[in-house]
Amino acid sequence: MPKLLEVRELATHFFTRDGIVRAVDGVSFSLDPGQTLAVVGESGSGKSVTALSLMRLVAEPAGRIVSGEALYNGVDILKMSDSQVREFRGDRMAMIFQDPMTSLNPVYKVGRQVGETLMIHKGMSRKDSIKRAIELLEMVGIPNASERAGNYPHQFSGGMRQRAMIAMALACDPDILIADEPTTALDVTIQAQILELMTEMQRRTGAAIIMITHDLGVVADVADEVMVMYAGKQVEYGKSAEVFYRPKHPYTWGLLDSIPRHDVSEKDALLPITGHPPSLINVPSGCAFHPRCPYAADICRTQVPSLIDCGNGHLAACHFAGAREFIRGVDPAKWKAA
Amino acid sequence: MLKYVLRRLLQMIPVFLGVTLLLFMLRAPGILPGDPVRMITGERPISEALRAQIVEKHGLDQPLHTQYWMYVTNLVQGDLGESYQRGRPVVDIFAEKFPNTLRLALAAIIIEILIGISAGIISAVRQYSFWDVFVTLSTSVLVSVPVFWLGMLLQIFFGIQMKEWTNETFFLPISGMSSAQFPDWAHVILPALTLASVSTAYVARIMRSQMLEALGQDYIRTAYAKGLSRRAVTFRHALKNAMIPVVTFVGIDFGAMMGGAILTETVFSWPGVGREIFLAVGQRDWPVVMGGVIIVVIIVMVINLLVDLSYAALNPRIRYGGEAK
Amino acid sequence: MTTAEMTTGKVADGAGRTLWGDAWRRLRKNRLAILGLSWILVVVLMAVTADLWVPHMFADPLKIDTTPGASLQSPSLEHPFGTDKLGRDVFSRVIYGARVSLMVGIIAVSISLLIGVVLGAISGYFGGLADTIVMRSADVFFAFPYILFAIALIAVLGPSYQNVFIAIGILGWPGIARVFRSSILSVKQNEYVEAARAMGASHVRILFRHIMPNAIAPIIVYATMSIGGAIITEAALSFLGMGVQPPTPSWGLMLSDARALMFSAPWLTIWPGFAILTTVLAFVLMGDGLRDALDVKMKD
Repeated sequence: MPKLLEVRELATHFFTRDGIVRAVDGVSFSLDPGQTLAVVGESGSGKSVTALSLMRLVAEPAGRIVSGEALYNGVDILKMSDSQVREFRGDRMAMIFQDPMTSLNPVYKVGRQVGETLMIHKGMSRKDSIKRAIELLEMVGIPNASERAGNYPHQFSGGMRQRAMIAMALACDPDILIADEPTTALDVTIQAQILELMTEMQRRTGAAIIMITHDLGVVADVADEVMVMYAGKQVEYGKSAEVFYRPKHPYTWGLLDSIPRHDVSEKDALLPITGHPPSLINVPSGCAFHPRCPYAADICRTQVPSLIDCGNGHLAACHFAGAREFIRGVDPAKWKAA
Repeated sequence: MLKYVLRRLLQMIPVFLGVTLLLFMLRAPGILPGDPVRMITGERPISEALRAQIVEKHGLDQPLHTQYWMYVTNLVQGDLGESYQRGRPVVDIFAEKFPNTLRLALAAIIIEILIGISAGIISAVRQYSFWDVFVTLSTSVLVSVPVFWLGMLLQIFFGIQMKEWTNETFFLPISGMSSAQFPDWAHVILPALTLASVSTAYVARIMRSQMLEALGQDYIRTAYAKGLSRRAVTFRHALKNAMIPVVTFVGIDFGAMMGGAILTETVFSWPGVGREIFLAVGQRDWPVVMGGVIIVVIIVMVINLLVDLSYAALNPRIRYGGEAK
Repeated sequence: MTTAEMTTGKVADGAGRTLWGDAWRRLRKNRLAILGLSWILVVVLMAVTADLWVPHMFADPLKIDTTPGASLQSPSLEHPFGTDKLGRDVFSRVIYGARVSLMVGIIAVSISLLIGVVLGAISGYFGGLADTIVMRSADVFFAFPYILFAIALIAVLGPSYQNVFIAIGILGWPGIARVFRSSILSVKQNEYVEAARAMGASHVRILFRHIMPNAIAPIIVYATMSIGGAIITEAALSFLGMGVQPPTPSWGLMLSDARALMFSAPWLTIWPGFAILTTVLAFVLMGDGLRDALDVKMKD
């Protein structure tokens, strides 16, 4: 039985006057129903573009999905015709975006926007779609839902808007929900609420979630599987527990080290990753992370690492990932000497 | 919303007073070179008795602020004085001419809306295409064209050349509001086109830039993500946002046309408000001039107020106030 | 159509580029703007040097020729644009007309700038009562339709060349004041102004050294477009007989003369109007180009 979603070697490039931006360069993963995959990385790592590629929302002609497959129940999304994609979007796969204020149309009432997909995909009448929209708004925890449906976006608070966006995305009961940094634009207190809401909705509807975030704290609570991206490539992929407790890629170590933790003593202060994200036009040779990696060796500069299986479906793209002693916290000096 | 309306109305009052003050100062003795009595009677010689009468009637020997007050109170009651050249009340003269200008302005607005909006939308949706370049260039050209020259060119072309070329079968009237040869509506074509020309260019430009801005917003991305077709996204989501400033512009433009059509009216001998004022200037019929100007200003202010209110009504952020928790 | 994330990864350019240098480079690339600029330069050159070559190569623009057959000639080699009713060479008059138009454009807009920038600065920087007074006054001006107000002003001042500058200049200040004020308001919020104030700089110093240079860009664009507007207004006023008086050649005046002869001598109508069109268009294109060139810089 084919997986719900199977992505193989997805590559999306942007063709600009300054050169080709390799925003996504060979990403593969899969998704089962009811599962949550977290895609983690810095800005510019390609995580959002991956999501947009799946939704076929990449702006042509500047951007193009140059290769790869994305099989939804065996059907390749990337090869669908425009009208097929339109049927698919919003109905079987839905997406919510980072900033709920700008992502909602300011001149239409919220109820109408939430119900719009029902009108398009399920052929509901305006009245019926709004009725259902009210039910959905209630489901996501918005009080006075019937009154609220008649409000405009600017009359909602930030957290409520994001709830409305979630309701909007779930309207047609999609199999896959992609959430692009859903909590980044919200207050910290609201963030937890929204995450809780999403997990509950997932429980209720059985949808799979692809959660895009740069915040590992979010990931820890919510994800079944984690994919870490860097410079358009995936550098680590595996079950959540594996990646958190037995990470195998120096970039992941860096990310984990830079999470502020209340239980870590002051001596082990925050360790930022030195340097800055690479240009996606002039990607560093070999392993893209090598300029910032404390463990970089000659091979890292010349050869692009492929994904090495560290057991249990845990993959890491580092030349040394296979070595058992290459674990988080190993002293760079000692490692290089050996 | 009601608060907004009241606030705007209140704001209008000082502006209105400012306008009347300015106009009053323009014709007041001391500022305008010459004899204030002459301003009312014109150049003809008059008897002492008549002079005394006029001074008395218009309070010309009173202190300035009293005169101003008289002016304003008369104004509010609808008394704008009398045209000396014609001996009729100024208000009557303009009441006659007003519908003519209205007709012209309406025709021009319709053209402006139809052509300008569609040109702007097409230009935005097909950015960088031939059409877009064409619209952008022609709008730049139209904005630089002197309206009266355009009118004259149209007259030459449609009134004379076409007449020659088509052996007198097809040509358009080029002056006046009506004639024996043509139905009334034919007369409005050329003047309306002329009057609309510059505005159409502006409308197309504004529509284009507003559409482009709207189409670049995040909610457009959301709309596509929901599976909407390109047509639905453009016309249902983007357009409604982009239209608001365009509607505002068209409204204000309509007001401006009411008083600013003078050049077109002159070229086409169209008996409207603007032309009347201009003729009065030539005849030194100051009551008509000042009266006409104040009428036009009032019309413009009222229209601007209506435009402001419609903007508030169209923009949910103003209509429904701020955030609720 | 979507706003996809992209890292262009441009390496920071170490070379010190000035703001204006950047803008100039961008302007250079805009072909239409350069076209506009070139045409303006051509017109200016022709107008300024007119005395040197026009009367000799063509004719004295004021010279009336009443010999029979001299008037209303169609274009020929001797008179490239033909002659008018008084036998005057139209081509020379068009060239000399450029003088009038350019003078009006520059002087009138300068007057507007003078008044508008000062009032706009006071209004924007100090706010409060000064702001209200200035803005309400601007509203009063805006309540009048432009051409009508111009006519009314000229009616009061008397029709003449000089009064045209004054009238157009006076009409232009509210627009400039408004633009400058909003520009100042947005710059005022920036942190470097706070920093300057914290250092104890006086109001004047802050205004001149910190705010003005940044607020000036939109004014430059607006002023350029205004010159185009001023030229058209002068033409309109002269057309109505309320501007430049005969025998001074003015494009608007020439059009007014041409009107009676529209059918018998259409060339009289075409050339002066065309001159207005091209000159104003040049300023509009330049203004557009300036706006684009300066805009990107202003995005931060």
